[in-house]
Amino acid sequence: MKREINFTLNGDPVSIEVRPNEKLLDVLRDHLGVKSPKHGCGRGECGACSVLLNGKSIRSCITLAVEVDGQEIVTLEGLEKNGLTDLQKSFLKHNAFQCGFCAPGFTISATELLNNNPHPDENEIREAISGNLCRCTGYKNIVGAILDVAKKK
Amino acid sequence: MKKLKYVGKNAVRIDGLAKITGAAEYTDDIEFGPKLLFVGVLESPYAHALIKNIDTSEAEKVPGVRAVISGKDFPEKFGLYLKDNSIFPIDRVRYVGEQVAAVIATTQEIADNAVKLIKVDYEPLPVLQSPLDAIKPDAVLIHPDLGSYEVVPWLYPQPGTNIAHVRKIRKGNVDKAFKEADFVLEDWYHVPHVVHAPLETHISVSLFTLDGRLTMWNSTQSPHTQRNIIAHSLKIPHKDVRVIASFVGGGFGGKAGINMEVIGAVAAMKVPGHPVKVRWTRKQEFENTSQRQELYAHIKMGVKKDGTITALEHKLYWDVGASAEYGSNVVNATGFSATGPYRIPNVSIDSYAIYTNRPPCGAYRGFGYSEFHFGLESHIDRMAKMLKMDPVEFRKKNAISRKDKVAYGVEMNPTGIQECIDKVAEAIEWGKEDKSPDPNKIRAKGFASAWKAPAMPPNESSAAFIKFSEDGSINILVSGMELGQGFMTAMAKIAAEELSLPLEKIRVELPDTDRNPYEWQTVASHVTWSCGNAVRRAAIDARNQILETVSRAYHIDKSNLYLEDGQVKSYTDSEFKLPFENFVINGIEMPDGTYRGGPIMGKGMFMPEFSSAKVNPETGQGGHPNVHYTTGAGAVEIEIDKETGRIKVLKAAEAFDAGKAINPDLVKDQIVGGFVQGLGTALWEEVKFDKNGRILNPNFTDYKIPTALDVPPVMIPIIVEVPQPDGPFGARGIAEHTMIPVMPAVANAVENALGVRIKSVPLTPEKILNALKEKEEK
Amino acid sequence: MKEFDYYKPLTLKEATALYDRYGASSKLLLGGTDLVVLMSDGVVNPDVVIDLKGIEELKRLELKDGFLHIGARTTFSELIESSVVKEKFPIIWEASRFIASVGIRNKATLVGNICSAVPSADSAPALLVRDAVVVAASEEGNREIPISEFFVGPRKTVLKKGEIVTEIKVPEIKNKFGGSYIKLGRYSGEDLAQVGVATLAVEGNKYSVAFCAVAPVPVRATEVEEFLKGKEITDELLNEAKPIALKAISPISDVRASKEYRMRMSGVVFARSMKTSVLRLEGNGPEYGDRLV
Ligand code: FES
Ligand code: FES
Repeated sequence: MKREINFTLNGDPVSIEVRPNEKLLDVLRDHLGVKSPKHGCGRGECGACSVLLNGKSIRSCITLAVEVDGQEIVTLEGLEKNGLTDLQKSFLKHNAFQCGFCAPGFTISATELLNNNPHPDENEIREAISGNLCRCTGYKNIVGAILDVAKKK
Repeated sequence: MKKLKYVGKNAVRIDGLAKITGAAEYTDDIEFGPKLLFVGVLESPYAHALIKNIDTSEAEKVPGVRAVISGKDFPEKFGLYLKDNSIFPIDRVRYVGEQVAAVIATTQEIADNAVKLIKVDYEPLPVLQSPLDAIKPDAVLIHPDLGSYEVVPWLYPQPGTNIAHVRKIRKGNVDKAFKEADFVLEDWYHVPHVVHAPLETHISVSLFTLDGRLTMWNSTQSPHTQRNIIAHSLKIPHKDVRVIASFVGGGFGGKAGINMEVIGAVAAMKVPGHPVKVRWTRKQEFENTSQRQELYAHIKMGVKKDGTITALEHKLYWDVGASAEYGSNVVNATGFSATGPYRIPNVSIDSYAIYTNRPPCGAYRGFGYSEFHFGLESHIDRMAKMLKMDPVEFRKKNAISRKDKVAYGVEMNPTGIQECIDKVAEAIEWGKEDKSPDPNKIRAKGFASAWKAPAMPPNESSAAFIKFSEDGSINILVSGMELGQGFMTAMAKIAAEELSLPLEKIRVELPDTDRNPYEWQTVASHVTWSCGNAVRRAAIDARNQILETVSRAYHIDKSNLYLEDGQVKSYTDSEFKLPFENFVINGIEMPDGTYRGGPIMGKGMFMPEFSSAKVNPETGQGGHPNVHYTTGAGAVEIEIDKETGRIKVLKAAEAFDAGKAINPDLVKDQIVGGFVQGLGTALWEEVKFDKNGRILNPNFTDYKIPTALDVPPVMIPIIVEVPQPDGPFGARGIAEHTMIPVMPAVANAVENALGVRIKSVPLTPEKILNALKEKEEK
Repeated sequence: MKEFDYYKPLTLKEATALYDRYGASSKLLLGGTDLVVLMSDGVVNPDVVIDLKGIEELKRLELKDGFLHIGARTTFSELIESSVVKEKFPIIWEASRFIASVGIRNKATLVGNICSAVPSADSAPALLVRDAVVVAASEEGNREIPISEFFVGPRKTVLKKGEIVTEIKVPEIKNKFGGSYIKLGRYSGEDLAQVGVATLAVEGNKYSVAFCAVAPVPVRATEVEEFLKGKEITDELLNEAKPIALKAISPISDVRASKEYRMRMSGVVFARSMKTSVLRLEGNGPEYGDRLV
């Protein structure tokens, strides 16, 4: 049975009919055209589908769309609404990503970290992004880029 | 040589902005509209069984199902080198997870549910899971029709056995050399199956229209090769097959050649006018793409007291899984190169591609070299110990140098291996002891060298177009693939250098086989070299056109003209400056109002015309199968917790001879990324199978790839540059190579720490503790 | 994922009524980090899902009447952010930090973790050594279950039809104490425990020990607690204690570790945890949350 859910998506109100067994990731990507969260594993193991739910990073592949009724969702598209963030600029400068598939997920995790803790040390950064898998980079430049932002602020 | 302005300088990657903003479009991000259909795949529950009957009638009745397809609809075989793979198997399944039938439906859910209604009668057959069993004379045959398959002339399938190919190298006289050697050591080494685990799983969207055109949007490293295989297998003219490649979310060889895309192609042909999507789940990515071959290697090596290696016998038993269509070339390539980067006068190599009932194996970053280097570089350390020689010294003494003959008789290309070894030894502070403050922990270092050649057919080729636009900017059309390795940036810089055009004025386009010129595939770490040569030639061609036009219009001799910062200038007239945008499309106006010139469009192509796969099958001599080798070295410092057996890598260093690093920062990023991927295989990664051939860990919960917490805090990437004479600006590839030294370097460090030699990877805590226990009991 | 009906009751009363009505054909949803995976894999196929996240009274995390009350909606991240938890219930804080990764901890709840009753439940050993009490509500009323009696088998608890766990109560310890939870996984990144050990050392040489991932259910090792009682912890004593501690467990071999490795590591990690707890009691141990394996 379909039901209507209402939530804020990247600052805008959204109203959409979903079936209870639809996952947030699929609703965002297939029905709302929000493509930055990626499908990496579908089981909550890789972080590629990360989005912010009320400011906290969650895995949209193991979240039911009905769960976000009345909540606030922010994706990479929302973070960059007013231009590149400092974090994104730093990612760019550090060549942080290679294939880039994991980039939106890392951006969400790192944004959450910097919001809670503007000056994390390297260890805190590694802990905070350890749920995001990247197969290409070895994490060196991702960590370096976040550290750079943490030092500047 | 003239001073380089772009090549060799650092710049941010040109695809960086697309990737950090989410603008980069991957195949699954493309919208295909309401006519899109989805494919569900029925997978074999058996590793080996005869198919007695397939009944799809119930599935066909499900509302929303458009078609059900199986081997009776598409009996064609396909493959890159050896056509032993089925779009759908007709009479037997050969591994758990193999596609048996597919349902095309309006939603993925309907398709997946309908799949469950397909009934298949199987008759189970004995399951072979080890190449050492499968090679036995009485083993059940996995491909009884092996003799009838189409195959390239340089592979030698052995009908009536499970051997898909054997590559032999014979040089000198090993028997005599072993007799004359002062020390001889022989042993077995084992490397299990691992998976590529790109973050993006395989995906293919295909559209067949009634005008006979098949368009595919694939996540692929090989658009033209896919087009070729599909056109050939399905008998569609090449011009009517179009493969469009979006950004790829990681390849590592797993998206080379073709695999699940064939299902998409045939599904689309069943429902003309509908785009059809096949997207692998993470589980399917484990079960039904390609894996890395498992290897059992037997090494026998002889040395003289002075530390000279005199003989090597290397037997490689590769588990290529149920299909060798691609993996046979891994076996072939490593057969030629299994001496490693050493000068060895007497060599005997047998490299066997052996079928088993495990998923098909194929290209994986390193193309078999990581696997054989594990044994070889472990063995090198052990020989050095027998000789009481420092293992780094031993490597340097025997390292191959320019003009030495490799095992198949060809001269070695210029190489910086000595410098790589020295620089790594320096970076890791080889010889300096380091103690852990924790009494439970012990520290040690380990070293390994490496080499690798691109494994390619002798007539592989690359081509490029450079198109100018009104504002003097260019689009480079190539079909090399940006996999994250920095291909686009490298191509842009090569063109920038020849055209003296700033990078901001250059775009490199993703492949579309209709519009972009030919590229064999983005594999073998060869595109910087091969496609780079094509782009360079295209740029030189465009430059000549520019100079020609300006020369004709202004009556200045071409030799007096040059390009600088997007302008044509003259050596003889310092006032003369003609910006590209003034003429590259619209030409140059003459006093009489006529124009000279027209759109500038450079073209270039490259084929290594010296390469030949024609060798004596018994000795491997007589041809020129590899174009060149890239060499390097790597080392680690580890810390082992003696109580838990856990290994932590504290520091790593690797050096590779890139010939000329087009963009040094991105070369270093390849070294770091490759090291970490290698670390995964050294410490954690292994596909585990149950006794029926089913994978026990087809997910990231139980197949552990390194996280940000598991990588060494210090990783030192080093670039060495001994130019490759036929490379663009001297460049050669390094991307795959970076994985190769890691497994043996860690194993060597373990022996240096604990005095135990572990001969199989991954080096799990359990193996460490068991080895320690054995040592104590002795 | 199979289709199902979704309810999001706003009161506990509504929830217990629904749960009573649908019984075994329904599932309770908190963070969903376990349930949604099971449903996607087709392992669990409920007709009805009852989402408890609309119920205000389950959103509780407070120290009251000598107990820490952890409401069913409390996520691991909320536990980590709580200064009361960090100061007074540091083993729970430490265990929470070693659960999965941020993106999971932001949604997964401690009550959900306990109710999933997997043998490797990271929060269980910490709750066991702190003598936590599970509070369950049903149409029949409330019931309190000591955590040591809560688990009965892999993915099985003593909960009866219609019972909803509303909170976990953890008693405060008035005396000085030190504790630790050590999780041994295959690597430092997100992983399930191969062995998990929580220990507690309370002033006056009183000790508690509990394991996860090495028996069908998370277990308290009472025999070794008795053995250690009243004694000063030394390396020699721990060597003697190890085999006694290991009597409480019965590990199996699986894709994550062999039985032998688990057994051996249980001893190693037990000793390390115990030493850490004692050092922390004395005020000079490593920080809570430091990685000790
Ligand atoms: S896709 Fe959601 S965690 Fe991997
Ligand atoms: S850049 Fe490829 S997965 Fe991270």
